[in-house]
Amino acid sequence: MRIRTFMTGVVMAVVMNAAAAPSVLAQEFVKVENAAREQLPAPQFVGAAYAFIWLAVLGYVAFVARNLAKTRTEIEDLKRRIERAGGAPPSGAGGRGGGAA
Amino acid sequence: MSALGRGFSAALIVAAAGFLIVPFKIVAAPIEPVMGLIQKIFYFHVPFAITMFVTTFTAAGGSVAYLFKGSERGDRLAEAASELGVVFGACVLVSGPLWGRKAWGVWWQWDARLTSSLLLFLILNGYLLARRYGGPGGKKLAAALSLFAAVDVPLVYKSVDIWRTVHPQTTVVPSLDPQMRPAFWMSFALVLLVWGVLLTLRMRLLHARARLAELELAVEDLEEVRT
Repeated sequence: MRIRTFMTGVVMAVVMNAAAAPSVLAQEFVKVENAAREQLPAPQFVGAAYAFIWLAVLGYVAFVARNLAKTRTEIEDLKRRIERAGGAPPSGAGGRGGGAA
Repeated sequence: MSALGRGFSAALIVAAAGFLIVPFKIVAAPIEPVMGLIQKIFYFHVPFAITMFVTTFTAAGGSVAYLFKGSERGDRLAEAASELGVVFGACVLVSGPLWGRKAWGVWWQWDARLTSSLLLFLILNGYLLARRYGGPGGKKLAAALSLFAAVDVPLVYKSVDIWRTVHPQTTVVPSLDPQMRPAFWMSFALVLLVWGVLLTLRMRLLHARARLAELELAVEDLEEVRT
């Protein structure tokens, strides 16, 4: 019986302490008049989306163009090596890649 | 200039003209009453998303040819298409959140459409990583990943009809206002054309590099014989 009374007392003390403790969070929602509404600028969002899309596409084109230039340099290098080795440069070396752009 | 070269040049000219014309059509299209101006992202977001599906299926087709017939051309097609899948996927995954931030108030929602789209983008990235760093069996591993990407496409498309989501459903395009249709379909044609041009360009480059590698080996042999 004593233990039961003691436990009830402890629980009540904890509950009362929790109720009395100050909280940093709002405990109720109150209506605020004339509050500033979040305004997001649609033209900037649309502009950012389009800019990213075209930059991504142009970036890929630049990547392909850089690879193409590298391939052309390598083909020229290969032609010189063939000439040095005394053979005729193969006609397909400049092939389809060289004419792609 | 060959017929292929002439066709490619014509496609390039049409694509360049499209870049000038399509933005005017989009500006001229009516403003959607609920979302307002932000809905204009739709005219590029959706065509890029559909083209991402097309390029994923193309990559899977190439991978099937490579896996079951050993086709090097199929492998090059899969590589070029997957690269474009990553580029187009990035466009979808950036333009979408920009639209969502204004329309829904959040940049991202872990709902079925957005999550499965991100998954598709990651699988396509995985394809490229497996090719580059996968070692001797990397190309086959990548080809298998490409098939998984293709399986994800129907899931991405139907996800909005199957699960509850904040994303608009698949009925948006068929039920589009007649005044909005020309801008949408012109934009879609342009994006598809750009994809076709880039795919052709990349495939030719990959072909040239493969041929170059073969010739380098032949030249090394020739140099050894001469010395």
